[in-house]
Amino acid sequence: MTAPPGEAVIDVADLAKTYRTPFTRRRVEALRGVTFQVRRGEIFGFLGPNGAGKTTTIRILMGLISATAGTAKILGNPVPSRQARARLGFLPEQPYFYDYLTVGELLDLAGRLFGLDAATRKRRADELIAKVGLDRARTQALKKFSKGMMQRAGLAQALINDPDLVVFDEPMSGLDPIGRKEVRDLILELRDAGKTVFFSSHILSDVESVSDRVAIVIRGQIQAVGSPRELAGQTLLGVDVTLRLDDPHGAAADEIAARGDRVRRGDRELSLTVAADVDVDELLAFARERGARVVVVAPRHDTLEDLFVKSALASDGGTAAGAAVTEGP
Amino acid sequence: MTDRLGRIWAIALNTFREAVRIRVLYGILFLVVAANVFAIVLGEMSIHEEARVARDVGLAGISLFGALTAIFLGVVLLYSEVQRRTVHAIVAKPIERWEFVLGKYLGMATTLTVLVGLFAAAMVVLLLYQGVGVSGAVVKAVVLAWGEVMVVAAIALFFSAFSTPFLSGIFSLGLFVIGRITPDIQAALGSKEASAGSKTLLRVVLEIVPDLHLYAVSGRTLDGQHVSVNGDFVSWGYVATAGGYGLLWIGGLLALAIVIFQRRDFA
Repeated sequence: MTAPPGEAVIDVADLAKTYRTPFTRRRVEALRGVTFQVRRGEIFGFLGPNGAGKTTTIRILMGLISATAGTAKILGNPVPSRQARARLGFLPEQPYFYDYLTVGELLDLAGRLFGLDAATRKRRADELIAKVGLDRARTQALKKFSKGMMQRAGLAQALINDPDLVVFDEPMSGLDPIGRKEVRDLILELRDAGKTVFFSSHILSDVESVSDRVAIVIRGQIQAVGSPRELAGQTLLGVDVTLRLDDPHGAAADEIAARGDRVRRGDRELSLTVAADVDVDELLAFARERGARVVVVAPRHDTLEDLFVKSALASDGGTAAGAAVTEGP
Repeated sequence: MTDRLGRIWAIALNTFREAVRIRVLYGILFLVVAANVFAIVLGEMSIHEEARVARDVGLAGISLFGALTAIFLGVVLLYSEVQRRTVHAIVAKPIERWEFVLGKYLGMATTLTVLVGLFAAAMVVLLLYQGVGVSGAVVKAVVLAWGEVMVVAAIALFFSAFSTPFLSGIFSLGLFVIGRITPDIQAALGSKEASAGSKTLLRVVLEIVPDLHLYAVSGRTLDGQHVSVNGDFVSWGYVATAGGYGLLWIGGLLALAIVIFQRRDFA
């Protein structure tokens, strides 16, 4: 899972972006000194609430907007530059493509822009259309595609050049659970094929389930960078215990339940959480003496969600989302 | 170099594909054919002037509708890339922004060339139907009209690099009209009644507006000589000079459009 240290595929230092609103001329700090590195071969999740600066950072990296201050490099090349974009694939947030093209024509256009020859374009397009499951929609114009199909077409065009680095902006946004799982699988598959994946999301579970490392950005500032496990912390918060009982509502069950909290009673099952300092062996012995059988014993740690919420609340009085807006020049 | 040309060509080809799907263009083509048919009716009503009317109306149709189409495509095609965010997936690929703008222009120019060709073909068919031959003067006039359309397309593209289609359309139409009346502006400069301030303004206008009158010379006096597509017309040398003048304007306008587009943020 861990990539060789020191080899930065994306290197962002003190990136800032300030702009003014069109009429009120209010100064908006979309990014405030963002610094992070993405190492070769890792899946890096860029996590933050809506309006936190994820898309702004990605747009600067892709050369779509300019930074007010700071530097960024992709594969050792300064951003923005054609060289920086040569070995990467990009899926924009809510991708918009030429809706009169078919997916094959879209991939052909993308391939031409990467300078691929006709035979390579055709071979890669065939492979990718099959990979993203759009074979049956090959002859349809993109305007007839559903949102999920458009997302798949976007993923395919991002991979046409067999890139070293793929950048996905909210790739699971708007997808159904199956679509989201397919995207997660694709991200893992790309990492296994030696690619570096950088993707943004505001969906914690998506980021936590696939990322080797994560950066949390809130109000244009990086709050934390590390593996989900490191960030969530190793501190034991408690232990979840699930027991099988003939009568989960009976007196024996009540005695056991009194030793913990968060008690849930189901069909012949009793679940409870006990504090970290409770002797779990003694509790399990106590439960067995009352006819219970142990089904699950699981430690409870801080989750990425806990950290995310704490970071959000700690940031500027608890209003996590959105860029910093200031008055004046 | 081949890669660069390939990228520019890819954008041009895609722009052409997009443009030919715009249904308004087919409406304009219908209007041009209708104008030529109307010219036949007008010609029938004239006394032995069928050929003159058919040529004049046909060429005016090419020139006017060609310019209007150029403005329409110029203000819509580049702006819509930004507005619909299709530019995001393109600019993030290893293409320079100047290559993108040049590709857009070439795609537009290809579309307009096909359209002017169709307009001219419609005129020629109807001229032949009337038994009127296609003279060298007509060919030169069509080439000049095409040159003007190319310059107008560059004007519209320039404005659409930083403005909305509505404003770009107004600005482009304004420049087209002013560019067509440069002899009248020059005449006003020679007038004793014009104030010094207004003369200065007119001189500035003449400097910053392309002289599109060069491309619509039939029926006008050029160097003291009356030229007409129905009689003595300009030489191929004149056509080439007007073409060179147009190329300079196109190059300048595209360079300005590229400088502006280069600095834009695509949010």
